[in-house]
This record gives sequence, C-alpha cells and structure tokens, in this order.
Amino acid sequence: MATEAQQIAQRVPGEKSSFPALVLLAGWLIPGAGHLLLGKWTRGLLLFASILGMYLIGLGLQGKIYSTSTGDILDILGFAGQLGLGLLYVLARVMSWGASSVTITLGDYGTKFLVVGGLLNLITAVDAHSLANGRKASA
Amino acid sequence: MLTHFSAVLLFSLFTSVVFGITQRAQPRMMIRFGAFCFAIFVGSTIVISWLMYAIKH
Repeated sequence: MATEAQQIAQRVPGEKSSFPALVLLAGWLIPGAGHLLLGKWTRGLLLFASILGMYLIGLGLQGKIYSTSTGDILDILGFAGQLGLGLLYVLARVMSWGASSVTITLGDYGTKFLVVGGLLNLITAVDAHSLANGRKASA
Repeated sequence: MLTHFSAVLLFSLFTSVVFGITQRAQPRMMIRFGAFCFAIFVGSTIVISWLMYAIKH
C-alpha cells in the first residue's frame, strides 16, 4: 500500500488537485506546516524553528510591525513582507507586540528580521507547493 | 541583548537553513548549499565591515 509520501512523489506536474493549494496555504499560515503535511518532518521543523527564530529576534529587538494605515509606499512594502509571516503577523498585531515605530538603533535590525522572516516563509510555502505538485523532486 | 555580530550570525544561520532546504532537492546538497550561504553571509559582512573601517580611517 502506497504511503502518502509515495503518492505525493508520484504526482505529475499539471495534475489537478486541491492538495498543493492546501499545502501552500498551510505553509504560509504556519511556517513549515506545508512540509509537515507532506511528511517531511525534519525539514518542516527546521523551517519552523528558523522562521520563528527570525520572528522572535525581530520582536525582541523592538522591530516595527508595519500596517497599511500610513499610506507610505515603504510602509506598504514592509507590510507586504511581514504579511508573509502568516498567523505570526496576525498574532503580533492582535497582541500589539513589536513597535509602532523604530525608536532604538537595534529596532531597525529587528524590523529587517521581521520582514526577511516573512519573505523566507513565502519561499518555504512555495517550496512546499512545488513538492506537492511534483515540480520539485522529492528526496 | 544581542551584539551586532551575534545578530549577523543568527540572521545568517536562519536564512541559510531556509535557503539550503528550499533551493536544493537532495539532503546532502541542502547542507552544502546552506553552509555555503552561511559562509558567504558572514564572510561578506566581515569584509565589508573592514572596508568601512579602512574608509573611515
């Protein structure tokens, strides 16, 4: 009987299925969740730890949590990057974590950690999607 | 509190892990590419830092 991982490996590019979309969505909302859904536990946990680490350091350094309310194009770009953090971004907004503006020198570093963490999470979600639809070889 | 250099090391480590896993298909190549990215991140930071020091002095 084929396991889920073997079935994933046998999928061919272009095949219609909602599973890759689910993997993409899960990977965006929770870092590494896309890989976990594919049964790639080590990769999923490493990705989760890395992106969570970026997020926690960013918050610890009092990085700025962007919103679109200012209308500034640079703020909107920062918001787009941080939105890649998925539920972690929502959590920071709901709990009012991070800073509303950069007040210390290290806060600028913290902001970069948060934005890059979001962008890295998007890369991981797309990677999980590529594994799920067979575009990337599954080893 | 993190120093600038420890922040660079952690940034490089986490970013290299993600690059290694997502940009290569084989586990062995993931480790090699991740280590390469880490070395490039940290090495270029040190080189650029010394360049800025030389420009200032």
